[in-house]
Amino acid sequence: MSLLRVRGLTKEFGDLVAVDDVGFDIEDGEFVSILGPSGSGKSTVLRMVAGFEEPTDGEIALDDVEIVGSPPFERDVNMVFQDLALFPHLTVAENIGYGLKQSGVPADERRERTERMLEMVRLEGYGDRSPAELSGGEQQRVALARALVNEPALVLFDEPLSSLDRKLRQHMQSELQRIQIETDTTFLYVTHDQEVALAVSDRLVVLDDGEIQQVGTVEELYEAPASRFVADFIGDVNAVEGRVTAVDDAEIVVDTGDDEVAVPRTAAGNAAADVAVDDAVDVCVRPFQVRVESAGSAGASDSDDASNPADADGAFATTGVVRSRSYQGSDSLYGIETDRWGRLSAEVRSASFDVDDRVTVAWDAADVHVYRRDGSESPDTDGGT
Amino acid sequence: MPEPSRSDDGGAAESVDEGTAESVDGRTTESGGELATDGGSVSGVDGRVSGLTTYLRERPRLRTLAIAGPPYGLLVVFFAIPLLAMLVVSFQADQIGGAWTLRNYTDFLTSDTYLTVVWRTFLISVQVTAIVAAVGYALAYSIVRFSRRTTLLLLLVILPFWTSYIIRMYAWINILQSDGVLDSVLNLVGLPALSLLYTDTAVLIGFTYVWLPLAVLPFYASLTNLDGDLIEASKDLGAGPIRTFLSVTLPMTVNGVVTGVVLVFIPTFGSFITPRLLGGTNNVMIGMVIENQFKSAFNWPFGAAIGMVISVVVVALLLLATRLGGGLFGTGGEES
Repeated sequence: MSLLRVRGLTKEFGDLVAVDDVGFDIEDGEFVSILGPSGSGKSTVLRMVAGFEEPTDGEIALDDVEIVGSPPFERDVNMVFQDLALFPHLTVAENIGYGLKQSGVPADERRERTERMLEMVRLEGYGDRSPAELSGGEQQRVALARALVNEPALVLFDEPLSSLDRKLRQHMQSELQRIQIETDTTFLYVTHDQEVALAVSDRLVVLDDGEIQQVGTVEELYEAPASRFVADFIGDVNAVEGRVTAVDDAEIVVDTGDDEVAVPRTAAGNAAADVAVDDAVDVCVRPFQVRVESAGSAGASDSDDASNPADADGAFATTGVVRSRSYQGSDSLYGIETDRWGRLSAEVRSASFDVDDRVTVAWDAADVHVYRRDGSESPDTDGGT
Repeated sequence: MPEPSRSDDGGAAESVDEGTAESVDGRTTESGGELATDGGSVSGVDGRVSGLTTYLRERPRLRTLAIAGPPYGLLVVFFAIPLLAMLVVSFQADQIGGAWTLRNYTDFLTSDTYLTVVWRTFLISVQVTAIVAAVGYALAYSIVRFSRRTTLLLLLVILPFWTSYIIRMYAWINILQSDGVLDSVLNLVGLPALSLLYTDTAVLIGFTYVWLPLAVLPFYASLTNLDGDLIEASKDLGAGPIRTFLSVTLPMTVNGVVTGVVLVFIPTFGSFITPRLLGGTNNVMIGMVIENQFKSAFNWPFGAAIGMVISVVVVALLLLATRLGGGLFGTGGEES
């Protein structure tokens, strides 16, 4: 039995379908993020779980009890708001104790639990201050403490970290993880920031246009994105246009220009790729999987790749010119204008190139993901088998 | 182009004139000179303004005076001087220029009749303020929370201001009098007539009607500024609608409430037209007494003395109320 069960959740605002048939589960003690671009409906999902919006259709069950229709103040769920929504007319301690006061916890116990929460979020001695006197990061902690002190079954986060600078955000991320483990509470976190989502979550729900694109662990989503959207949204991706020339259970043969390359179907990717012969497809590869070598040493590179079975059908390889370089600490990100596929980006750790260097660019067929291009559904599917 | 260039010179000269008799400061002359060579009429006006700005920027005290002077001047001429004149007159016997005396004050403060009228006035003012605050808050709240046509509704709230106060009072006489609109309607539906005119109820109705917009506007302003997330946060933390209202909405809008209350309470306490027209002779308020001293009894010093006492009482009451309101709804009152 999962802690939160969402089924067929739909929300329409007039003609606009903000959330379309969304379903997912959250297990007790998990840290789950709903990730999506702005306008994807992620906040609406959160607000429906909190009780601020009524779904047009669908079910939300918390601890196996249907909660749709019950008001927010009766739900065993607390929310950390995007702009925190701390009560400016109350002190930090009164803010944190607010929920306890509403549920009739006696003053002594309230004080004690508030004190304990202040310790948990490392704000000992801040109880008598006004929220306005605290820094952004400290206010975040108060908002978190105010939600956690009630010991709800589920804590909801509506992008509360988005207003912080990068350094503080990263710090708060690890604090969130620590506190989640210490309090053994279930977190549902909504964000458009894939970096935050990847850093903190056990599992991700990727949402676009009100629809779920993929649900899975961080690793699954990164390594086996279900669509080009997910691949693009979670980490960068290069997409090369191609056409399917043959499909079977073991591999998908794609033509990306002059050559045909056989892409193996593996557990990590393409096993479920829904493509047929003649489909226009995107062949996607992560920048860090792209190998770049100086054009002079192209021969050596070829011999390296000889062990790769993909080479039998031609490898994903081309030549190009380095157009841009951005230093990223441990590695460098190059923008390369390739002769066959236009502009690609490559993340290179060991070697170093300058702008205008001629290079060879290659990657393994096993590392790519093939997605059918939107709106290119091929009517003749008989070639697939 | 002789004219613009002349106006430039004039501008430079003016900006010097407008300062003081001090010597012309180097920069001003310089900019004036530049402008004269520029010649254009637009840059002439600009130059005059920028010359003055520069001049004032270097004299912070003069600048403060230039900004704060006019409003303070208005206050002195139209508020402080008349008040002072009233104060002086209130210590004179029988007429302006009479012998100095405290009798006006002792007469008033030892008269049961007058003190009863003050007490009545106070009670009516409190009732009016309470009714207007409750109705006005509900109205403002519903305009903010439940309506999309806020501009239209606010316009409707302010609309009565476009008609004269007196005319609106006569309209109420028409409605409330013994065979008036209200009674006729009641008769039609088979209910007994009320004949409200010339009763306390009529006075309350009149005041509520007249002051409602004055209270709705500050209430509305403070309610629109209230962050809706705070309401949601309160509900999220387990507070139902009533507790959310009492512990978040009301305390967060207390400033607007105090403003509205002050705007209603003060004019009610001093009002004489509404009680005269709707309340009749049995329902005297202190404003009517003062008016009488000035217009019928021609005892200006006595009227002035009553006015001074009432002003002091009202100011004291308001200070007390503000202090009390802050204590009740501010941070101090929450932890209990």
